[in-house]
Amino acid sequence: MNVLIYGLITGIMFGFLLQKGRVLRYDKQIGALRLMDMTIIKFMLTSIIVAMVGVYILKDMGIVKLQIKATVLGAQVIGGLIFGLGWGLLGYCPGTQMGALGEGRWDAVWGILGMLVGAGIFAEFYPTIKSTVLTWGVLGKITLPQVLGINHWPVIVVFVIGSILLFRWFEKKGL
Amino acid sequence: MKSKDGSSWSPYLAGGLSGLVSIFAVLTADKFLGASTTFVKTAGMIEQLFSPERVSAMDYFIKEVPNIDWQWMFVVGIFIGALLSAVTSKSFQWKAVPDMWADRFGLNVPKRAFVAFIGGAIAMFGARLADG
Repeated sequence: MNVLIYGLITGIMFGFLLQKGRVLRYDKQIGALRLMDMTIIKFMLTSIIVAMVGVYILKDMGIVKLQIKATVLGAQVIGGLIFGLGWGLLGYCPGTQMGALGEGRWDAVWGILGMLVGAGIFAEFYPTIKSTVLTWGVLGKITLPQVLGINHWPVIVVFVIGSILLFRWFEKKGL
Repeated sequence: MKSKDGSSWSPYLAGGLSGLVSIFAVLTADKFLGASTTFVKTAGMIEQLFSPERVSAMDYFIKEVPNIDWQWMFVVGIFIGALLSAVTSKSFQWKAVPDMWADRFGLNVPKRAFVAFIGGAIAMFGARLADG
């Protein structure tokens, strides 16, 4: 029961911040895909940086464990391409459309209904997909530091510096 | 970094704080943020209303059991949090068609509904394929 309450509290805080950052709107999401407005990239990368540093500190202290998803090239490349096509049509992603509805953009309802249908269709095809696409290019639970054979902190530092340079460029270009 | 839209926060500030929310999720529930599994579980729960035997025999619903879990509550929370933020800052606005869409395709609601629905179905299929 406590776990459900923590889920709700986490969601409320996250939804509040998504709305304050103005990343829920169709115009912002499609603006990013059209390379006109980088607001959602700024939000996402900053969020990733803070979470990455925090989670790795906690991991090094032995407080938390990473939950690494397996890399399956076929699934992620094809799935990513299909997701991008749908995202470009809808202009919301699975989590943000709930927030978009929360700020009154009720065209998100069509996206929510579509996603329920899409999930149902995927479930129907799962046995076939499991024996085909999900077997293409299986690399297992790998991480970048592991592939490079180095400690995770150099990778984090390079990622943070790269992000800051990208932010500076966005601000200079007014994106 | 203040925009013309008075009640918004810098995306760097809001994004940075949302990173702290991610850490909170890991510490309190051992969970990493995600949303798409919730649509699978909800689809399963709806299908159960019509044919529970069929759902319980399907591989994907055996893997992703249709129930209400941490992530399901997280997704509901996103709606509530965005609503709270929008209402308290007067940026809540009923809108059937987004501005950028209207500029290009007009204010026709069924047209937007059709494309959004198809887009949602395609996006979710892709997200599930990639296990994201």
